[in-house]
Parts: sequence; structure tokens; C-alpha cells
Amino acid sequence: MATFDQGIGHCGWSVDVATVTVGLDGIVTGWSEGARRLLGHGAPEVVGRAAADLLHDREAPEVAGLSRTGSQEWSGTAALRHRDGHRVEATLHAQPSLDGDDTPQGFVVTVTTGPAESEHDRRMVEWAFSQASIALSTHTPASGSWHRNAAAEGGEEPTDADEDFLRCVRRVAEEATPMRYERLAPETPAPVPASARHRAWIIELWPVRNPATGEVVGVGTAAFDSSDQHSARQRLALLQEAGTSIGTTLNVTRTAQELADLAVPRLADFASVDLLDSVLRGEEPVPGPVDAAVVLRRVAHQSSAEGVPEAAIDLGGTDTYPPFSPPVRCLTSGQPVLSGADDPDFAQWIAGHETRTARVEEYGFHSVMATPLRARGSTLGVAVFVRAEGSPPFEQDDLILAEELAGRAAVGVDNARRYTRERTNALTLQRSLLPRDLPKQAAVEVAYRYLPAGTGAGVGGDWFDVVPLSGTRVALVVGDVVGHGIHASATMGRLRTAVRTLADVDLPPDELLTHLDDLVVHLSSDKEDIAPDEPYLVTGEIGATCLYAVYDPVSRVCTFASAGHVPPAVLLPDGTASVVDLTPGPLLGVGGLPFECTELELPEGSLLAFCTDGLVEARDRDIGLGLDRLCETLAGPVPSPSLEVTCDTILKALLPDSPADDVALLLARTRALHADQVAAWSLPSDPAIVADARAQASRQLAVWGLEDASFVTELVVSELVTNAIRYGAVPIGLRLIRDRTLICEVSDASNTAPHLRRARTYDEGGRGLHMVAQLTQGWGTRQTPMGKTIWAEQTLPVG
Amino acid sequence: MAARTRSEDSGSGTHTLGLLYPPAGRGREYTTMQLAFVGGVAEAATTHGYDLLLSPGHTHEDPSFLRMVGDRRVDGVIVMEIRREDDRVERLAEEGFPFVAIGRNHRADVSGWVDLDFAGLAGGCVQHLADLGHTRIAFVNRSEQLFNSGYGFARLGDEGYTETMKKLLLTPRAYLCGDDLASGEEAVERILQDDPATTSLVTQNEAALEGVYRGLTRHGRSVPRDFSVVGVSAGPWAEQVNPPLTAAEIPAKEMSRVAVELMMQRLRSPDAPPRHVLLKPLITLRASTGRCRPVPGSEPEPEFPDFDLNF
Repeated sequence: MATFDQGIGHCGWSVDVATVTVGLDGIVTGWSEGARRLLGHGAPEVVGRAAADLLHDREAPEVAGLSRTGSQEWSGTAALRHRDGHRVEATLHAQPSLDGDDTPQGFVVTVTTGPAESEHDRRMVEWAFSQASIALSTHTPASGSWHRNAAAEGGEEPTDADEDFLRCVRRVAEEATPMRYERLAPETPAPVPASARHRAWIIELWPVRNPATGEVVGVGTAAFDSSDQHSARQRLALLQEAGTSIGTTLNVTRTAQELADLAVPRLADFASVDLLDSVLRGEEPVPGPVDAAVVLRRVAHQSSAEGVPEAAIDLGGTDTYPPFSPPVRCLTSGQPVLSGADDPDFAQWIAGHETRTARVEEYGFHSVMATPLRARGSTLGVAVFVRAEGSPPFEQDDLILAEELAGRAAVGVDNARRYTRERTNALTLQRSLLPRDLPKQAAVEVAYRYLPAGTGAGVGGDWFDVVPLSGTRVALVVGDVVGHGIHASATMGRLRTAVRTLADVDLPPDELLTHLDDLVVHLSSDKEDIAPDEPYLVTGEIGATCLYAVYDPVSRVCTFASAGHVPPAVLLPDGTASVVDLTPGPLLGVGGLPFECTELELPEGSLLAFCTDGLVEARDRDIGLGLDRLCETLAGPVPSPSLEVTCDTILKALLPDSPADDVALLLARTRALHADQVAAWSLPSDPAIVADARAQASRQLAVWGLEDASFVTELVVSELVTNAIRYGAVPIGLRLIRDRTLICEVSDASNTAPHLRRARTYDEGGRGLHMVAQLTQGWGTRQTPMGKTIWAEQTLPVG
Repeated sequence: MAARTRSEDSGSGTHTLGLLYPPAGRGREYTTMQLAFVGGVAEAATTHGYDLLLSPGHTHEDPSFLRMVGDRRVDGVIVMEIRREDDRVERLAEEGFPFVAIGRNHRADVSGWVDLDFAGLAGGCVQHLADLGHTRIAFVNRSEQLFNSGYGFARLGDEGYTETMKKLLLTPRAYLCGDDLASGEEAVERILQDDPATTSLVTQNEAALEGVYRGLTRHGRSVPRDFSVVGVSAGPWAEQVNPPLTAAEIPAKEMSRVAVELMMQRLRSPDAPPRHVLLKPLITLRASTGRCRPVPGSEPEPEFPDFDLNF
């Protein structure tokens, strides 16, 4: 029927038949080509010789098996000798060759080698073929006919309808090489869920040759069910993909979602990831098992259906899981848990939750795997995989896969959690160092923005500040510490605090920067003492720049001093914008070089724009170009009335797409105190004038309608003027400012500042400033180029 | 005597005060200062429950004045813009009519008055400049005509200025100047001609101020960088010039209030001796004065001490 020959050459199953005629006398009378092939002798060598010569042992034929069958027929086995001497086992079948009288003339002997080829054997082969447990078939290309065994007929393996398969068959026939064809069961349409296991086959194809001619006459096929192998490969592919697609970002939620997305539909019909709440806040999770009911927050879920209708918990929602529920059991044991409809715990869990009950019923959830998300010894949460109606239940293999996936996701989540914590820390630090609500002051209207650099570089050392000063003046500060990360933020915090403190002392801008410069020099030398193996500390110099400006709304003069900082831009009310021409000054920390003040009188309503180099400097343009663009934007076609909007406009116009440096922007629109809000008088150095000064102040308060404040004001005026006359130097000035508060200032030409001293019982003096301090909201002193000013501030009487 | 009878049957008076003020001057317009006084008196009178009858009269023969006094249509009269010897005051004193004067006069024995301490103000201005380091301080007074007529403040100011300068051991240089722009320019011309090293001036001629500024600008003197100007002036005027004038302000409202109060006291106790109030307002600092900087070239460059260092 079929010959199975995988190689070339004669061996095993090959059958040769030779025919020989032998005379009654035992002399060979005829010799066939088959006989020659079998025994190597040519006809001339053999014809005429005794047939017995061909026997191997030259003895009488092993008559044992040689029995006469019927009258003259006999058959049996004999050992023949090949021409080259080797032994050929053969089956002989001799039949008498009869003449017309039924008299034997000789014998036709059929010599066959190989096992006995009987009709019985042939049938055995046939039966074996048809009943084989594997699907077998043969194909004859010439006729295009197929011959299949029972397994092939009944199975789902390819038929002649499968075009790919047929192409493969043709190739085998044409190229005469064995091939292997793999085939998946065709996708069956819903309701069979996609997670149901695919059936797969491997089909071996080989060419069938005619052994005699070597010509390919057909193709044999054998199909093996490779479903197990296929699903193992699928799992491997899934794991491989998990390596690349889980944990692509340092975002907890995103990582969880990646796990859910990957698992559906290939592993489960529905997957959810729930985390302990602490993990989401970036806190260190509690190590060890949890035993009581656990509150978990849904972070991600996925299903094959749009909108994930299967979920019983909304994203971001929490639920309490009882201790017997599979998720908590897996958390407790640290091992994945396989559960399902047949598990009483599962049933109890589902029954205890109304929405869950409904969902399980609706979608036919019957098999559940819960795997803990564990990384570095601590438990972060749980991943749950569910199969719905129509999918086979989970098996042990699936559990291993789920555990593996969950493990990868857990590491990703833990990384993200740690990163979140670090970044949160750094941002918290920076935010705590930057002003949140700028102090209320009337000198300027401000708006500001701080943008950290993109995720790569993290937080930086930019800062800005608005510090109200005495006499309704205000200090505007913007600075930049070179570098990124916590280190830069911390340095920024120190500098900002220092600037605030120095501003509070009311130092002029150039002096303030000199002090700040000293501080940076000290900080830099401090750092050299720190162990050099501290990786996060940059030893040596701190690079920092700072711009400090003081605006006085009474004189409308803004005084700038810069320590190597980007100069500010100013938009005048007439719509012209320009960069303020400043002496750039040395960087902070250089030490020893002077800073210079630049004064600029600004019309009321001028807009000052302070920024850091992150805004105006970019890879593709230098600072000059950036400042030009800043000016253009400021003077833009429609000047916006709102500073907030202007802030956004500027950021939009100047900010590169992915800022490499952090950016601080501070806008300040100047206000001016009008003549009717300020009154100033010159006082002669004559003690008699004190009464006049008091009266004048009182009259001024009456004009302002602030009679209620006159008692305290008169007292303050008396004290301060008396002090100035007694200890100070001419010229002496008295100034009242009515703004958000009532400010009384007395200035004189002496630089000696007063101190609060403790008056003893019988001391005549020394009580004045105490009284002023007690009666007013605050008092202080500031040095001026021409002496000092002592000020006291009162809250305005209500109404 | 009539006044006494009136106050005896208290409450039966007219509850009206009269205000005598001179008619509008040149240009037929009242000055801000005059209007401020009128408003101030009216306001202060109202707070005491009195109405105000206005009478623009310059002499005692003015019919409006005669009607007011002769018909006793008012309980008392406040007289504005007084000369040292004023026939209105004379007439009121003769009549024994209760009156209070805004401005000093020779009948201080019978009437109360409120006035500014012009001498003290001019002195204060000098003092202010001296405090800032100025030593060459000129004085720009009102016109010669006014100075010679009875207007007291022109003379008082001059006295105050001269006295203070002498006290400070400085040389006084006072100039009379017409009440107009051109005179102001011309005054500066004279000042700088007499002493080019002058660095400051005191003026009580607000009408000439703009001219003074112009003259200074023409001579390359920038206020307040290299020339300080301080004056006696009404508030709005001082603020309208550029740079705003540092000046002792004439407190019109305050003076009106004091005048009405003196009148009230007079009506309440007619036998009490008349009170006199002399106000000396402070100098309001604005932008026209600054530290003295020597006129370029007028003083030798300070030499730096030679420390004679040996390294």
C-alpha cells in the first residue's frame, strides 16, 4: 500500500523480488534482472550451474522451512550467497512450470528478501494506518486525491480547503524535501472567549518516492496535536512581552494598567490590579503578611469589553476584602491562589458583595487567580485574573504564568513607588522653599510661575520671592542655583532664607548681594569638609545667580543689583518694552568683586518681568535672542489686563517643548502712591518743633479721616522726632504714608541706629521705643545713603 | 454794647456770620487760596450751627459792608486779606461790632486774629536748606509794590529770612520780584549774576515760581540736583509745578477753622481779652530740595590723603 522510506538506499522495509527458473535437475535455466540485483551474479555466470551453488552453506537447503506445498510447490527460507560472499536471507517460493501435459518442466522460483511479505502483513499495515491514533494521510499529486485515516477524517487538522496547507503540500511534492507545517485551530466567533486555549497541530509532510525510480509519487502527512507546546510558547511570548511592556514608566498607576492590559485577553477575560493605599502615596508598605480584612484601592482593570463593565469597583475606588477572599488569602500567604465557583470561600466572598454577585452572575465568572504583588520583601497589592463563561478554568500552568507576570509588575510598581516618593520629596522640599502665597503688599501687583524641568532632570534651584519692606517698598528677587535635584533645591532654600533675612534688615541691593556672596563663599568652603564619597553632594563651588530689586512706590524708583543673573525686561505704560540695562555683576560665590546698583524711575503701571535662564535660554537660541523675544511678547499686540494671562502668554511663547532647565517667572506691575497718600515734612533740630510735628501729623490724619489713629501716631511722632532731635543729625524728616497700613517714618542724617533697651525703674529715657514697639504693629530702622530712617507701622482703624 | 445785649438774650441772634473779603482781583477771578478761605470759613461756621453771609468789600464804604454791619444782619464778622492798617477794621472797632481778622492788624486790642508766622516760615525754609548743607541761600520776595504797601507778610518774610541767615552766620541776599513768570526768570538772573555759587533759594512768591524754574534751567541748574528751591505756598500750587515744590503750606482750612473758633469764643464771652493765634506750619517735603552739591568748578577737588604706605 504505502512504502515508508525516509532515506535513500535499500534497507529495512525494502522488498526485492527476483525470479529464477530452475530445471528439474536443479540446474539454473533462467536468471532475471531482479536476481542479478539480489545476488550480484549476471545471467551468464549462473545459467547452467546448479542452483544449490547459490546456497550459502552449500549444504542441503535448510529443509526445515522448505516444505512442499501441494503437489510440486514448495516454499521456505534459505540462506543464499551473494556474489561478494555475504549472506542473503531469502524466502523462496517455487512453483512447477508445467507443460501441456501438466508435467513439470522445471520450477519458477521466486526469491524474496526481507520479512515474510504475506497478505496478512499487508493488511496489518493497512489496518494500522487506518486506525492510527495520529492523523495520517497520503496525497497523490497526479490525481489530486487524498487518502486519510480515521483520525484525520474526524479531526480538525487541515483539509484540502486550507490553501496554505495545500501550498505546502505542493512544495513538498515539487522540492522532494520533508517539511513541517504548523496550524492553529481557526478562530471561532464569539461567544467562545479569546482566552480559551487554542488547539494547534504540527503536521509532518514528506515526499513519497517510488523506490525503484526515485520519482516522487505522493506526499505523506502525519499530524500531531501540539496544543500544549503551543500554549507553552504563548506563555513564553507573554512573559517576553511583559518584560518590555510592564514598567515602561515610573508611574504606579500606569504600571498597574500595563499589567492588566497585557493579561487581557491572552491570560484572562478580566484582570484587575488593586494596591494598598500606602503604596499610592509613595510610602513604604508594611512588610510581612496582613491578616485582617484589607482595604485595597483599585488602580487598574481591563477586560475585552469596552469600558470594562465587569468591574465591581471603579478605578480609584476602594473596597474591603474579607480575610477568606482569594485576594486576601494570597496576600496572607504570599502565594498565588487559584479559586473558582467550586470554592466555598469564593462563593462566600462573592455573596458578601452585592455588585460582585451581580457581575459574577452576569458574566459567568467561574475561575479566579489572585496573585500577590510582592517586591523586595514587601507586599504592594494584588492582581486578580478572572475567566468568564465560555473560557476553560485556569490551570496550574496559568497560575505560574500569573505569578510571573505579577512579579514583574510588582517590581515595576515598586520602582515607580520609590521614584514617586523621591520625586515627591524633592518637589515637596522645593515647594516648601518657594513662596506659596506671596505676602500682601501694595507696591506691585505680582504673578508668578515656577515650572520644574522635565522628568529627566527633576527639580532645580530656581527661586523667586517678593519681600515687603518698610515704607511700602517691596523687594523683588529672582535667583538660580546651578544644577538639579535635592542638592540644588536645598542650596536654593538656604539662599532664599538668607535673602529674606537680609532684606528684612533693609540692606540696599548692592550690599545685600555682597552679604549673599559672602554666604555662598562660606557654603562652598563648608562643603569641602564633607566626605568626598558622598555621591549627592557636589563639593567645591556653588554656582548661583541672583537679581535683587527694590521698588519704592513713593518715588517710583526701582533699584536693581545683579549677581550674574539674567536682566529683567520692563514694559512701560506707553507699550515699549526693553531689557533693563544693568551691570551684570559677578556670580555669587566668586567673592571680592563689587556689585553695582542701577536706579530706574518707572512710570506708574510699568510691568517688570524677572525670569531665570531656563525661560530665555534654550539649546537653539542664546540669552540675547530669548530676551528679545521676551520683550516682543511683553509688548505683544494685545496687552492683557491680567498678569496671570500675561504669565501664560510668555511661557507659551518662550518655553521650549521639553524644558531642560527649570523656569521661574515673576511679573510685577508697579503701583504708585499718590501725593494724597504721602505727607512729608522737614523738621528743624529744635525740641520746640515736636509739638508742631505732632499737631501737623494729627491734622494730616484728620484730612485722611484717620482721627482714630491720631493718639498713637502723635505718640510715635513725639518719640521718634524727639530721638532724632536729641541723637540724630539734620536734616530731619517726618513722613506719613497711608496705604494698607499707616506708616510713620522719621529720618535723620545720623547712621546710628537705635536699639530697644530695657529701661530701669528710675531711668528717664529708654522707654520711648518700647512704647512705640508696644503700640504699633511693627517698627524698624533702615539705612539710607544719607543716614537712617526709623519707621513704625500701624494697622488702619477699621471702617 | 449792642453785641453784649445780643448775647444776653442768648439764642436770639441771627446765627449768621459775615465774611468780608476783597473783590476779585486782576482778571476778575478769585485765587484758589481765596476760595479755600471762603470754603473753610463756611464749613467751620456750619459745624457751629451758623450760616455765612458773603460780602466782597474792600473798604468801609462799600454798600454791602454797610448793609451787613449797619443793619446788624450778622452776629459777627470775619475779615479776610487784611492790611496792617485797614479802614474796615477801624470801622468795625469803632462800631464795637464783634469781628475776627485773618491776618494781623493794628487793632489787636479789640479783635482776635489768626495769622501765619511768616517770619518763622521764611526762617524755617532757611533752616531746612542749611540742614541740607546749603550756605548760599537767596530770598525771592513779592513785588516791590506789595512790599511797600501794607501787606505784612512780605516784610515779615524778609525779616525772618534775614534774621535766620544772620543767626547761621550766612550772608542774606534778598530780592524783590514781580508776581509773574518773567520777573521770576529775571530774579534768578540777578541772583546768579551776584553770586554764581548760589545753590538754593527761598521764595514766597508762588506766582513767579515757574519763572524761577525756567531761569534755573536756562542756567543749566537742575532742581533739585544742583539747586534747591523751597517756598511758602498753597498746597495745590506747590504740587502742580515740576518738580513739586518743597514748601511751607498756607493752611487755609486750618486758619479758617481757627478764625471761626475765635469768633465763637468772642460771641460766648465778649469781655474776654481778644486771642491771637500765630500758625507756623511745617515745611512739606516734596521734590525741589536736596543735599548741597558744590557748583562744578567753584571749589577745589578734595585731595586724598597720602598714607605713605611701605610694602
